[in-house]
Amino acid sequence: MKNFKKSIYGLVSIFAIVIACTDLEEELVSDFTEGTTIPGVTIDIAATDGSSQAVQDQIGAAFEKLRGGTAGHNNYWSVQSVSSDEMQVGQKGGDWYDGGIWLDMHRHEYTAASEPLTNTWNTAYNSISEVNLTLAKTGLSANEIAQLKVLRAFLYWRLMDLFGNVKVVTAVGQDAPQSSRVEMFNFIESEILSALGITAVSASTDLTNSDLNTSSKKYRINQYAAMGLLSRIYLNAEVYTGTARYQEAADAASWVIDNGPYELTTKSNSVVKNLAKVANPGDNTNPMLINDELVGYPAMFAPNNQDNVELIWTVPFDGTNGSGMNFHMMGLHQPSQFTFNFDSQPWNGYQTLTAFYNAYENGDVRKQSNFLVGQQYSYAGLPLNDWAADDFDASGQKSLGLSYTPEINQLAPDSERQSGARMYKFSHAQFERNEKSNDFPIIRLSEMYMNRAEGLARAAGDWSLAIPDTNVIRKRAEVGEYTSIDADEFLAERGREFYQESLRRIDLIRFGKYGEAWQFKSASPDYKKLMPIPTDAITASNGTLTQNSGY
Amino acid sequence: MKKLLSFNLSLIMLLLSVSALAQSITGVVSSEDGPLPGATVQIKGTNTGTSTDFDGNFSISADDGDVLVFSFVGFTTQEITVSGQDQITVSLAADNELEEVVVTGYGTQNEKEITSAVVQVTAEEFNKGPINQASQLLQGKVAGLSIYNKGGNPNSTSVIRLRGLSTVGANVSPLVVVDGVVGASLDNVDPNDIESINVLKDGSAAAIYGSRGSSGVIIVTTKGGESGELSLSYNGQLSSSSILNRIDIMDREEFINAGGSDLGADTDWTEAVTRNAISQIHNIAASGGFNNTTFRISANIREKEGIVINTGFEQFNTRANISTRALKDKLKVDFNASFTQRQSSFGNDLVLKYATLFNPTAPVYTTGSPFFPGNSGDVIGGYFETFGLFDSFNPVSIAEQHEQTGEKMELNYNLSMSYDITDNLDIQFRAARQTSKNNNRNYIPGTALLGGNALSPTRRGLADFDDNRFEFSLYEIFATYNLNSNGFNMNITGGYSYQEDNFRQRSFGLGDFPDNSMDFSYNIDASQDLNNAGFITANSYRGPNNKIIAFFGRANVVIDDAIYVNASVRQEGSTKLGEGNKWGTFPAFGIGADLNKYFGTDFDQLKIRVGYGETGSLPGPTGLSQIVYNFAYDSGGSGNTSQARAANPDLKWESKAETNLGIDFSSGKFNGALDLYTRDINDFILETRVDVATYGFDRRFENSGKINTQGLELNLGYEVSDNYQTNINLSTYKTTLEEYVLENGDITANLGSPGQNATDMVLIRPGEAIGQIWAPRFESVNADGSPQFADINGDGTLTTSQDKWNDEDADFEAAGNGIPTLEMGWSNNLSFGNWSVNAFFRAAFGHSLVNTFRAFYEPRLASQSSYNFVNTSLAEPNLTVAQFSSLYVEKADFFKLDNLTVAYNFDMNEDSFIQSAQLSANVQNAFVFTNYTGIDPEPALVDGGNIVASGPVSGGNVLAPGIDRRTNYFTARTITLGLNINF
Repeated sequence: MKNFKKSIYGLVSIFAIVIACTDLEEELVSDFTEGTTIPGVTIDIAATDGSSQAVQDQIGAAFEKLRGGTAGHNNYWSVQSVSSDEMQVGQKGGDWYDGGIWLDMHRHEYTAASEPLTNTWNTAYNSISEVNLTLAKTGLSANEIAQLKVLRAFLYWRLMDLFGNVKVVTAVGQDAPQSSRVEMFNFIESEILSALGITAVSASTDLTNSDLNTSSKKYRINQYAAMGLLSRIYLNAEVYTGTARYQEAADAASWVIDNGPYELTTKSNSVVKNLAKVANPGDNTNPMLINDELVGYPAMFAPNNQDNVELIWTVPFDGTNGSGMNFHMMGLHQPSQFTFNFDSQPWNGYQTLTAFYNAYENGDVRKQSNFLVGQQYSYAGLPLNDWAADDFDASGQKSLGLSYTPEINQLAPDSERQSGARMYKFSHAQFERNEKSNDFPIIRLSEMYMNRAEGLARAAGDWSLAIPDTNVIRKRAEVGEYTSIDADEFLAERGREFYQESLRRIDLIRFGKYGEAWQFKSASPDYKKLMPIPTDAITASNGTLTQNSGY
Repeated sequence: MKKLLSFNLSLIMLLLSVSALAQSITGVVSSEDGPLPGATVQIKGTNTGTSTDFDGNFSISADDGDVLVFSFVGFTTQEITVSGQDQITVSLAADNELEEVVVTGYGTQNEKEITSAVVQVTAEEFNKGPINQASQLLQGKVAGLSIYNKGGNPNSTSVIRLRGLSTVGANVSPLVVVDGVVGASLDNVDPNDIESINVLKDGSAAAIYGSRGSSGVIIVTTKGGESGELSLSYNGQLSSSSILNRIDIMDREEFINAGGSDLGADTDWTEAVTRNAISQIHNIAASGGFNNTTFRISANIREKEGIVINTGFEQFNTRANISTRALKDKLKVDFNASFTQRQSSFGNDLVLKYATLFNPTAPVYTTGSPFFPGNSGDVIGGYFETFGLFDSFNPVSIAEQHEQTGEKMELNYNLSMSYDITDNLDIQFRAARQTSKNNNRNYIPGTALLGGNALSPTRRGLADFDDNRFEFSLYEIFATYNLNSNGFNMNITGGYSYQEDNFRQRSFGLGDFPDNSMDFSYNIDASQDLNNAGFITANSYRGPNNKIIAFFGRANVVIDDAIYVNASVRQEGSTKLGEGNKWGTFPAFGIGADLNKYFGTDFDQLKIRVGYGETGSLPGPTGLSQIVYNFAYDSGGSGNTSQARAANPDLKWESKAETNLGIDFSSGKFNGALDLYTRDINDFILETRVDVATYGFDRRFENSGKINTQGLELNLGYEVSDNYQTNINLSTYKTTLEEYVLENGDITANLGSPGQNATDMVLIRPGEAIGQIWAPRFESVNADGSPQFADINGDGTLTTSQDKWNDEDADFEAAGNGIPTLEMGWSNNLSFGNWSVNAFFRAAFGHSLVNTFRAFYEPRLASQSSYNFVNTSLAEPNLTVAQFSSLYVEKADFFKLDNLTVAYNFDMNEDSFIQSAQLSANVQNAFVFTNYTGIDPEPALVDGGNIVASGPVSGGNVLAPGIDRRTNYFTARTITLGLNINF
């Protein structure tokens, strides 16, 4: 009986303990549940050390988001590039059909279900959300707030430029009505102007009241970056709003050129170690692969370009800690893996269009710097073979080496696997993994020269006014200077200079060429200049988003 | 009631107080067929007892007035009062009306009193042959329970569905309860140790398990010991498996004729990576009992080879079940513990894919490397490789060189104590704990081209480690009160349950090993990555303590021995849900009636039952109601956190309401059960699209919609003769997505790389069935080799581009559905003399599969003549463009002789120390009738996603049934010899 009592007491007390335990608080031990900034953390990768650009502030997370889509596949960069006359992603037999999305993008037959457009939309808003979240932090300096607002304006500019009419949300968790393109333009302009502490840009702009500083750190926004961005937006204002703002575009660009500490890259101010150098050149004569150093223009885009004198605002990429740049995977054919000793096979996707490649004259330093063409060699200097091709000689032996040809036979369904010059502007490094380390320019000085040239020419209706600034750029490229110029030639020069930098689609629209026919693309209707708002976004918005006309 | 109580008490007191002169009594217990060995003889109300020997003899010391209770399973218990006899001979009558007791949640019930759809499968009915997982014992045995292990990879677990899709979230598989432990792992129960399995199919039965019961409940009871002499049993199986079915691909000659490039050799790659696999299983069990304690201890050894080289596992498992009674039988203590250790060699899933597409004219090994001059074959281990061809690697090199292994340890123990406070009231306490540890290792030597970086001048070789640990604890206490008077019987149960689980994980990887002289995963300090920290990957994670707390109650009432009423309610809370939505209430009600009693029918038995129950379901991931931030390096500057996921603070329980109508009947040699059900899953939890402008993320876990399932299940048994019994079960159901947050629907399941990204194949559209494979209709091949699709809507234009799937004028249609419309299991048991034959047929009809091997490799792509071509009977030889369409969607109806066993029982001499011995031969997958051209026509109920060289892209999509991916294992036919001896 004693035992009986004991066990009853035991059971009752256990019962009491468990009943008491009804606490259902969820404690996440492995996650941050509050946003934090941890100062003093630096990364140290010998090849791409960005520590010289280090900033100790509280807004890094917002800037970090810029990596998304800026230089990778199936997002903003792909949309800007494949919809333009720069490049295509041809269907290579069983490879790269991908439901037709890249063929549609190239032919301007994109629809609202297009995956890269959906990704572009989502990435932009995700970044904006992070900016809004950061803006909600307490204790931000005026400079940090100003930077965040310009960053957000830049992100909205991308949306406005592509989709026209979107929602402007300025606080986390809020919704907003769909703005017109004009309203968006006004919002973006006023945000940037207010960060610069001015109400309008003029030839004598004074930025002493600006919350932005003049620090030369390239991963952040300073007065020059904001002014450069403004120059770009004014240059396209007529497209966006119907009202031309060319003089202001030229004034803003001019201000950056005149006041900034930046210089165009030259052979003397821009020399970096060539990280792509192969062990043995063999018959390989490509200086981009066999020289010890990259000098001048190519150094500006190399994996170790972080301190380049021409770059004003860049997005930092890093093979270890800053993922998002995958040009080597996207562009190269599989055997090129063995030139660079990549960890994994490239995807053989993006091919430069023939006319675009041919628009460079021989001797243009940018031609050599921007592309890989011709026979490819292994790290050990031996010719690489395109094993996948169906070319065999009479004896049944494979006879064809891997040689990138500027000519492309077709877009689909059997675009030859070696066809098309391959992008190499953001050059590679030996042993790269899937992520590259080149910093990607958002604003660089060269664009300021070209914007001033075009702004002055268009404001006066006289293209000869563009000659002086354009020639500065041509001289650097080691090609002959212009004595006369027209709109088409100016556009071609912009193309040569800004290849692979996500500007081509915008330029084509501004010059009225976007709807024209080019290689494997027939003329496209005017409404295609605006992309369709993604179906997924419209669906998720519960009727608060209206599709652009034509779609 | 008070009266009854005091009466019972006084009876017990009376019995206890009786103490007279002890005397020795001997006797024999027998039945119609002769002496009964092992029968129990016990003095009523005491612990004193014995059991009969082999000849039915017993001897016991008892006093005058003691009541001796003679009992044996399957016989009616007899009581005889001692009054001076010294010899007692008892003949027990066979209990023809033996009432089957069925284990239900927190207790047992007589079978006839059950008001819900519960199916019991006993050991005799289990699938025979080499069974790797306990779930396979049940395959095809229970109407409505779908179990598929597509391809039959020995290391993969089966997909289990009860009545189709019960949730789109995490708990799609039924809840497993092992010996009362809720949420136990089936992996730690050896099939040989299972006594019976009960499946609670409908909501009214499962509701007592609340949130975890939405997908049904499988209750496993393991074998225990029996009082009496120690008995030993041995079960041994030796089996041989060979490849049953392969993908039709071209041989050397066909390949060259089709324009393929000739590399001079003739290799059957499927042959090269498969083998005749030998497996063995040994099980030894000892059981017995003495005094008040019974026990059973078993050891199981399994050595299983997969038919793909370097795959398989070795497993060692022990289990101890001990049961004891104390305090005059009022206290019952059960303890069971099991331990499993499994060493697996997983192999690389890509082997199957590359064996199918690798050039059939390529040699396996090579001394030189013609396509990569300057390198001898040694650099890549002597294997032939087609450098530079995307996604094409020598499968033999991968199978022989990649070491993908895992060591799994599972330990669980379960202590349960029950105490009879009175004859009517008992209280039970249970504490159980389960620990699973996985140590996975992946070593790719520097001579492997895929993953091992063989051609790189540095950084060759890679070692990856992943260790994880899962802990689960359960504490429960409940009391049962029983009231019985005048044809009215009531049973009330009430209790509390506390469950907690936790997951933690650590992983790291590094490479760049000196050479290939050893397995450097055992010597990672040789890694040069240690000098170059950016190359080392490392990660760790510890999940929150997920808790489920519940209060539950149930009443079972029997009126007039013919009307049965069950009602239960469970109030349950979870840490995973949003503040304010943590608690849910899950009621159930069921009523059944024995119609025979009131309307004398021609049936021997005719019972009708109706049940309604609500259950819930929880999301799989944790922390969904809280914002979570990632650590992000802002290059060069500071470290920051950025938002990683949009939180849903309003996330609430997904609830399922199910109504079941059932009829149980038997008449002469017929018996059967028919169940009809309808169920609604409301507020199902899914990561779905939200407005990215507002939330910052385009997806968030939401209560996203409503799914309705309606189904019918029929089980029929017929005793053709004394020597032949047959049983067939049929089930059919239809699942409709009734409401969905995205009104225009969605599409999912990307076909993938190479070349077919952005090609989603399965439709998710409100108002329509789940599982529709959405595709343009293939009509013919154009002169240029491209496919001609049909103008389905007849508008004169073809809109077949994948990104236009949802356009108004899209020419897309449902080319099939991934979910079967009818599933069948058919058992046949024959016996003649010492021989017995068991043949089990299984079938599924109405489902389709996307044959992805065909979709990628059957078109004769001109530029890819270095891949082999798939060449089935459905091939279009002039088609040169790969584009997804109805051409690759195939009906996959099948009918198979799943399991055939022939057994011989040896006659044993009575004095032999061997009690029984059986020799058996078994064939699994004896034959399959199907028109499906892929490897295995079994339904693919969940989509594991596309897989590429860098690993799987997505996984576990239950809304995308019907995709037969390129990584499914090759099916095998297995022939087994088995020996079973009992001592």
